[in-house]
Parts: sequence; C-alpha cells; structure tokens
Amino acid sequence: MTAEKDLKTILKKIQFSDDAKVMAQLVDQSLAVKVRMGAIKRKIVVMSGKGGVGKSMTTANLSLAFARAGHRVGVLDVDLNGPCIPKMLGVSGRFELTPEGALPLIGPHRMKIASMALFLSSEAAPVRWKGPMELSPVWLGLMEMNVIREFMADVVWGELDYLLVDLPPGAAADKPPVIAGFLPELDGAVVVTTPSEVTKIVVKKSIHYARDMGIRMLGLVENMSGAHCPSCGAEVHFAVGDSNDIVNELGLPLLGRIPCDRSLSEACDRGQVLAPDHPISRRFDEIVKKIETILLPKSI
Amino acid sequence: MKFVCMKCEAFMGFESVQVPGEQSLGVTFGCPQCGAKIAMVTNPGETAMVNALGVKIGGRVTPAEPMELTRQTLKEEPVLAKSYTPVEQQKILETEMTKTKASGGTCPFSGMIAQMQGEGSTQPTGQVKWSPAARERIERVPSFMRPMIEMGVESYARKMGLSDITPEVMDASKNDQGEMAWADGAIARLDNIPSFIRPMAKKEIERIARERGQTQVSDALMEETKSKFIGMGY
Repeated sequence: MTAEKDLKTILKKIQFSDDAKVMAQLVDQSLAVKVRMGAIKRKIVVMSGKGGVGKSMTTANLSLAFARAGHRVGVLDVDLNGPCIPKMLGVSGRFELTPEGALPLIGPHRMKIASMALFLSSEAAPVRWKGPMELSPVWLGLMEMNVIREFMADVVWGELDYLLVDLPPGAAADKPPVIAGFLPELDGAVVVTTPSEVTKIVVKKSIHYARDMGIRMLGLVENMSGAHCPSCGAEVHFAVGDSNDIVNELGLPLLGRIPCDRSLSEACDRGQVLAPDHPISRRFDEIVKKIETILLPKSI
Repeated sequence: MKFVCMKCEAFMGFESVQVPGEQSLGVTFGCPQCGAKIAMVTNPGETAMVNALGVKIGGRVTPAEPMELTRQTLKEEPVLAKSYTPVEQQKILETEMTKTKASGGTCPFSGMIAQMQGEGSTQPTGQVKWSPAARERIERVPSFMRPMIEMGVESYARKMGLSDITPEVMDASKNDQGEMAWADGAIARLDNIPSFIRPMAKKEIERIARERGQTQVSDALMEETKSKFIGMGY
C-alpha cells in the first residue's frame, strides 16, 4: 500500500525543484534590494520604542546635517501609517514611475526622499489597505514588510553616502528586524528618547530587542532635553532626570541632546530648513560628527 | 508547498494556476512519472499570504513594475506623478524640437535639447557645480529629458569656461545653438545679401539647416531657400 510508505524516507531520496518559482521570486526580491542598496555606502535607521519622541524630526535634521557636511543623502520614511518626512523637509509631490523605478522627491541639499505620503491624495488621507488586510489584520506585518522591501528596492536612490530610515513608533517588535533582514550590512541605529522615565523604559526594551536582532546601536539622541526660552534663548531644564542612566546601563554613546525650541518646531511644521548656524543645526552637526567617528573604521 | 506522488515516490511538478473563485487560487500539480494530477485550492487566508508576498505562483510572465505590491494593496488609487511612455517621450521631444525651430519658443530648454540631439551625447559629467536655484529649475524638467538637458548646460558651461551653473547660465545656454559651418560657396552667396538684412537671413538659413539635421549650410541649401529671399541678390 503506497499510503503506508514512510514519507521521511521518500523525501530523503528525491530532489526538490522550485518549479512553481516561488522561492526564485523571493530570492529575486531580496537581490533587487541588495542591488539597489549596494549603491548606498551607509544605511542608518532612526528608531525608538516609544511614539511621539521626535524620531521624524531627528531623522529630518540628521539628514540635513549629513547633507551640510557634503554627503549625498537619502531619506526613507517607513512610518507607513503616519508619514511626515516630506512635510518636515518641505517637499511635496508624487512618485514618478519610470522603467528604472520610482523617482524619489528631491529635497533640500539635493536629498532624495521617499515616503508613503507620496502615494496619498492629501495630507489628511489615511493609508488604508485592501486585499489581505481586508480579510484579516494578521496579514499586516507581512504586507508592510513587503511594502518596505519595495521602498528599498524600487526607488531610484542612485549612489548615496547615507540613507536614513525613519522607523514608525512601536518599532521594537517588527520594523528594525525587517530592515535588518533585508540589509545585513545595515550600519546601525540611532535611538531617540526623551528624559521621561516612562519613555526610557520602553526605549530600553527596543534597544534590547534590536541588539538581539544583531542591529548595531550607534547611540542615543535625547530629544526634548530641556527647552530654549522663546524670548531670551536661554536653555532651561524642566525634566527631573536625563538619559545618563540609560546610556551608562546599556553602554551606549550619547550622541546629543536636543532641547524643545520654538523655531525648530515651526521649521518642522512649515517644512522649512533651519539656518546652518542655528543652535539646533549646530547640535545636529555635532551628532553627525559623532556618528561619522563611530562609523569611521568603515571608510566611505 | 509541494506534493509528493506516494506511488512513484517523486515530487509532483507545478503545472498551472487558475482563479476558480474570489480570494482563491487553484494550483495544479502533476506527477512526472505516472501522470497523476492533483489540484490544490487555496482558502482566502492562503491566497492572502501569496498576495502579501508579492509573488506569482508559477513565475512571472512580465517583470514586476515599480512599487507594484504597494500600489495594488492601497485601498485608494495611489496618486502618481505623470510618467511618460516611450511614444509619449518621443512626442514631447519632437514638440520641443519644433519649439526650437520656431522663433520665440516657450520651452526654456528646447535649444539645449536640439543641441544635445545634434551632438548625440550620453551622460552629464558632473564636473561643474550646479547652484541650488539652477538645480531646482532643472528638477522641474521631466525626468527622461533631464540628463540630456543637464549635459547640454554643462557642455555650454565648459565651453564658456564656467565652473558654476546658475539660472543665468541656463538661460544663456538655451540660446547657444553652437556654430553652424558654412560651405565656401554658401558664404559667397551670403555676402551677396544686403548687409542690413544679412544677419537675419543668416539666422533663418541656419535655422532651416538645423531643422533638417544639417551641420553645414551648403550651396544646395542656399539654392533651395533662394525663393524665400528672392530679390535679395544672391
């Protein structure tokens, strides 16, 4: 009786062939990412386990600082449901599809910018999925992973020195591993936190998680670290604690502290670029110098 | 997923994929040895998984388009910038060429396009520096025309010994049509044209030559365009 045959024994004897070409397509997808990303010298993700800490603001200003330093910079906004990088960098427009891929928007300092916002009809339009997601939200992770893959593989990034990837909030659980999975040569993550104890607890979880995934932590940026007085410009500290404890505990470099600043807030809201000599710009320039130093062994 | 023919102890091979119903795929496999067939019908969840992976069972007939999965799974029709098919691109280029030929064309880059087409150039060199204002202006040009125009402006800048490209340089370059060669006989005939209209006639004859893709004004062209300037003594 054939049904009584031992399948394990049979499988040892016969050769598998991918004649449905599913594996081949998955390999091709990964190769497409590697080919496109291969033209980019350094890839950095900006992450935090907590929402509302200023990841996008940090990403936007870090990219500006890298560009001011003379680097060719790209910014990938993978906050698929709340994309705001184009708005912060003062660009609007749509993807133009060409045989080479989707053309990113060109922002300040010739930065290349790609975001889900480039697909949406208006600023207020939410991202809503059809197909698998209409069936069940359990498919969201798989689908978003493949959307992110397309943003990496199908956007015409060209040759860049730095690609900064703005991750969505709550990123500890899925996006960094996804990005790292596609980019084994990911150079590392910049983690954004605030002096809040609650934030730091969540941020620590995300750092542990990302480290477990093999993602290198480049350092910590403490946002909302005090405030600049809108009248006299003096820096005031309103938080009880700071990030020194988390830095010491996790052995992370503190890349810099960014205070609340009215002009920074206005610049982000209006999509304007702060002047290079603005105190906040200088702070980001310092952060970029530190990142460059940390990455120094891998010369551009 | 694979199926094994237990009788033949062989993997069944993929044969075809069908769509028997909404949110369902029917995938047929056959045993390469005994010919037995089996059809697997996916449930909506399994179909969703295949779709979410962005793969086509059995392989793709045509390559994936840029951002295909993202565009297909967005509920609202994604808004895209205008893109151009090769036929449309050719049409736009021809239109721009016509503008170049007509005096007072509106396209600020049409002259450059014509010049670059004539030169048959390939890539911008990037050896000259573009000012932010010039860069912003060039970004407004449709992407498929941009490299050609960039090259035209850079070529002009190098010719003029300029290292920086500004909007003013772009303006100047659009009017730079390059030197048109004249055959000796044509020069002699040009000299016969009254001096007060000679510059205008020269410009018009060169325009006709460019329109025809010629790099030199020949005797034959002068003869051909004679009727246009009848009574001008040449």
